[in-house]
Amino acid sequence: MSNMNQTKEADRGGAQLRPAATAKSTTKAVALAVAIASFAFGLDTHAAPPGPREKAKRMFDRLTGTPPSSAELDTLTAKFGSDGPVNTALYIMNNSSSFYSVTLKNFATPWTNRDQTVFAPLNDYTATVIGVVRDDEDFRDILSADVLYVGEGVSPAYSTTSNAHYDTLESTNADLRVVLKKQTQSSLNGLPPAATAGVITSRAAAEAFFIDGTNRAMFRFTLLNHLCRDMEQVHDTTRPPDRIRQDVTRSPGGDSSVFLNNCIGCHSGMDPLAQAFAYYDFDETQGRLVYTPGVVQPKYLINSDNFKPGYVTPDDHWDNRWRLPGHNTPIGWSPDLPGTGSGAKSLGQELAGSDAFAECQVQKVFRTVCFRSPSDAADIAKVKTIKDTFRNGGYKLKTVFAETAAFCAGE
Amino acid sequence: MKRKFRSNVLHLAALLVASVFAFTGCGGGADTTENPVTTGPTAGPTYSGPAPATADIQSFRVAFWENVRGTNRCGNCHNAGGQMPNFARSDDVNAAYQQASTVVDRNSPSQSTLVLKVAGGHNCWLADASACASILTRWITDWVGASGTGGKQIELVAPTAKDPGSSKRFPADPPAEYAPIHDMLTLYCSKCHTSDSATAQSPYFAATDIKESYLAAIPKMNLDDPASSRFVIRLGRESHNCWSNCAANASALQAAIQAMADNIQPAQVSADLITSKALTLLDGTVASGGNRYDSNAIALYEFKSGQGSIAYDTSGVDPAADLFLSGNRVTDYDWVGGWGIMFKTPTAKAQASTASSKKFQQLIGATGEFSIEAWVVPGNVTQEESRIVSYSGSTTARNFTLGQTLYNYDAFIRSTATDSNGSPALSTDDDDKRLQASLQHVVVTFDPVNGRRIYVNGEFTGDVDKSGGGTLGEWDNSFAFVLGNEVSNNRPWAGVVRFVAIHNRALTQAQIQQNFQAGVGEKFFMLFGIEHIIGVPKSYVMFELSQYDSSGYLFANPKFISLDPTAKPGNIPLEGIRIGVNGAEPPVGQAYRLLKTTLSDSLYSAATGQTLSTVGTIIALENGPESDEFFLCFDKLGTRSNVCSNYADTQKVDPAPVDRPSDIGVRTFDALNATMSSITGVSPNTQKVKDTFANIRQSLPATPDIQAFLSSHQTSVAQLALQYCASLVDDPTARAAFFPGVNFSTVDLAGDSSAITTPLVEKTVGAGTQLTTQPAAAAVKFELDSLVGELCTSGGCTGARVFDVTKAACGAALGSATVTVE
Repeated sequence: MSNMNQTKEADRGGAQLRPAATAKSTTKAVALAVAIASFAFGLDTHAAPPGPREKAKRMFDRLTGTPPSSAELDTLTAKFGSDGPVNTALYIMNNSSSFYSVTLKNFATPWTNRDQTVFAPLNDYTATVIGVVRDDEDFRDILSADVLYVGEGVSPAYSTTSNAHYDTLESTNADLRVVLKKQTQSSLNGLPPAATAGVITSRAAAEAFFIDGTNRAMFRFTLLNHLCRDMEQVHDTTRPPDRIRQDVTRSPGGDSSVFLNNCIGCHSGMDPLAQAFAYYDFDETQGRLVYTPGVVQPKYLINSDNFKPGYVTPDDHWDNRWRLPGHNTPIGWSPDLPGTGSGAKSLGQELAGSDAFAECQVQKVFRTVCFRSPSDAADIAKVKTIKDTFRNGGYKLKTVFAETAAFCAGE
Repeated sequence: MKRKFRSNVLHLAALLVASVFAFTGCGGGADTTENPVTTGPTAGPTYSGPAPATADIQSFRVAFWENVRGTNRCGNCHNAGGQMPNFARSDDVNAAYQQASTVVDRNSPSQSTLVLKVAGGHNCWLADASACASILTRWITDWVGASGTGGKQIELVAPTAKDPGSSKRFPADPPAEYAPIHDMLTLYCSKCHTSDSATAQSPYFAATDIKESYLAAIPKMNLDDPASSRFVIRLGRESHNCWSNCAANASALQAAIQAMADNIQPAQVSADLITSKALTLLDGTVASGGNRYDSNAIALYEFKSGQGSIAYDTSGVDPAADLFLSGNRVTDYDWVGGWGIMFKTPTAKAQASTASSKKFQQLIGATGEFSIEAWVVPGNVTQEESRIVSYSGSTTARNFTLGQTLYNYDAFIRSTATDSNGSPALSTDDDDKRLQASLQHVVVTFDPVNGRRIYVNGEFTGDVDKSGGGTLGEWDNSFAFVLGNEVSNNRPWAGVVRFVAIHNRALTQAQIQQNFQAGVGEKFFMLFGIEHIIGVPKSYVMFELSQYDSSGYLFANPKFISLDPTAKPGNIPLEGIRIGVNGAEPPVGQAYRLLKTTLSDSLYSAATGQTLSTVGTIIALENGPESDEFFLCFDKLGTRSNVCSNYADTQKVDPAPVDRPSDIGVRTFDALNATMSSITGVSPNTQKVKDTFANIRQSLPATPDIQAFLSSHQTSVAQLALQYCASLVDDPTARAAFFPGVNFSTVDLAGDSSAITTPLVEKTVGAGTQLTTQPAAAAVKFELDSLVGELCTSGGCTGARVFDVTKAACGAALGSATVTVE
């Protein structure tokens, strides 16, 4: 585009940015941004920020997703010196809405859907995670408690058949630090209190993981999201296969060695655990979680001819076969729990009581705040320390965020 | 040593006859013929003897005698004046009947002396003795009418008691010879098979720690037969991540395993263990040949041969439509343990000659109805337009076909209601996903009223044939019967066929259920002696055992039983049953390991025993059904207690430290929105901002990983930045707050743009002390001033132009790395 054309277009300009001018300006903006980005990429990317001001900025950046204003940075720098990095981080979290509306929301959203996309809408699963962190509740509760967070005074109200309540919260950029209110889940979704299991029985999780299929998805994704292990990592062929359901063919494509070397490794542990969800389903027509106490969902009994001598699910009693000596003992199952039970709540307690659960939360926070996985010896040691603090300090995830932010800011 | 055992589950008769009958072969006769005979028997002399004295003798004559008295079958020797017993004599059917009765088991035709003799290789008129045995069984069954549905008695025979043998077992700690294997595993497999890998794949046999590696590798190595090690198969046969040449890699690993195995001495089963007596499959009581309904079978394939390139039609209905296998064994097709044929490549098929296939057209044409029955294991649920069973001429001409499309079975049958290709096809409903890559019993029936009906695992699928019934008079008798492909070789099906029958009647629902319940393959009752442990006379733990496929055995329905009808268990605790194979306990498939029960009088019945578990399990085949020896080990039985084997705990291993990667990143979508809002002071709820963000939200960075930042992300960042800046500049209040003291109506940016660039730099880079982690404020300001200068040069910088230029400068600053990188 010639300068003359540019001039003519600019002459027509008013208060609104004209498209042509926008295009030109955009080009410039991109060019400049790239130039500055190149400069930024040239930084020593491994070095911790050198001074308290830089460290405070990094903590604010990483915890809230936004940069502090100069005035805020002055305050934080002073606080960093007087109260120390961990308390400064806690101060940031307690006083910034973006920590909840941006960082925590994006932290939890991928757990709530099968695609693990961070772009999924705000929902009751995410809101509950945010609320539990905000209120410094025991984070293990997210897998077992009778709890759900809703927006106070937000219309439409919470519904068992729609996500509209949370859609509204998100579309209006509601301040999640303020608006979320703790409720008993049973009072909202009608489940018996004993049948509630934190986010496992949230509407969003049900829609994602109880829909169709065999309910194994709920188990797999809970394991993936909260113990940081996919089925490949817990694969152990030596578990007794007596609880593997009839729908699992023992000779895939006519070759039982495939079953003995692959399928059995996951199903022998997973099926007796996923039995905890035998009374749950998601009704697509109504768009809601369904709970049928005492009646096993038909999805547990499908394809029964695939292996007639397979296990027929009679109830929701679960057993943890991974507690037996073997490949999965390093998960660190709680010695205070029996490793067996009925229903989703006790299974949630079993999973959340493991060492792997605590470690997983710390690792996830580490990746969120430090933009990398724990790598060198110092990282690995720090993750252990933070995990121990988390376990011994009542499972307060906000503390994990604070300690991690302090560490990655170069405390 | 025998007792009767009545089962309502197993309608099978299995009488092992300790016969003293000696079936002498024809002196000097040929052993077997080279080629299968597909024509009917060479007729014996026209019968002019006495008429059958009874209805049963008449049945004997029609179903059996006429088939065997030909000179190319038994009648060549066992004729009048010939070899005794002369059940094939042609002079007197009543005398032949008397003789036949001495070598036929009416309760269990497959166990008839006559059948067992031929099965053992005695003068079969086909190349495969098992095929002759099956055909004779069929004829006897037709004669004695043993196709009813009533329960039968299983006669359990106590096996000879013997102790478990020995085999090589892995030492608890890795032997020195494991080191070379460990070296290979850590060198070539550690990218995945270690716990600290980014793509960790269990088992972690490539762990640096040799003991951890060894424990994980044990299930993948076979000391008795290194070539059967899973490691070797995975590389050699399945080409799993070979590091150079798969065959060479497999050989190298096999040699290393062999070297280790050579230094391990076979270990005896510890005397401390509580073990049952041992059995091989052949020590079990045969329970095969269940109550199938085959009265109208005109072709029947059981695939018992297990070798060669012919699958015999053992229906006994001449001419036999034997199937000739195309392709190479192993690579294209293979025989499957427990009876069956696996079709592997598009080259494979099993096809009958057009001459012998004519019987389908003739015999089905005579009735106008028929059924295709098959036990199949589809290899996958992704193949389409694949032919499982077909009687056709090409891809466009057929009499009938059973096929697969994804999760559906398809039935094409040519009739007056369909075209010459049997179309339109009747398929199972997509949503039902009836077809699974698992052993399934599938039946397609056709009758003139209902047309086609499909049954899967004994159930009518409910799919209605919209074409309706019709007649079959237009069938082409020049077509060929084929399995696993189209005759033209271009509709291959991958999977296993374990049984096929063609009936020239439409089977009823009850008959289909009966055949489904009868199952497929051979089943044995295995009596594992435990009398020596618990002291109850003739006491056993009984399993139903069958070879499930080429790789495994199915153990099912364990019961406690005593062959002494007066014996009772009393009150005996039983905990933890392990199935042992060849002197060792396989680590995989131990479904009864946690069993805990009591053998008690109240749960025990002398007739049916005491059921210990309702689940079955698969145990890996090791040396084959002829030589694998099984035994049971108990953690606790009666007064004795000793855990068979415990699996070791795995110690937690910390991930290996690595260098820290970059720890800077980019702000992600929500963070960018919040950041731009906080810097500009423009609410994210401003309609235009909201609309823009909604449009580009998923085009903004989703992850802070700076390596994943793309130019398209930057374009979206710029869009959002410009929208925020436009909203900022267009809003007098926001504008005044951001650019304090600047009057946009009067300011002239030409020459000095600090009025707008200074606030921009302060808000984006930061005011006050220069942050060392941010670009230098002066450098950024210089760039922004340059940008403004250029824009002003081209269009002047007063009045309305100021708004545009300010928006552009603001967009450049807000969308730059100083804001987006953290």
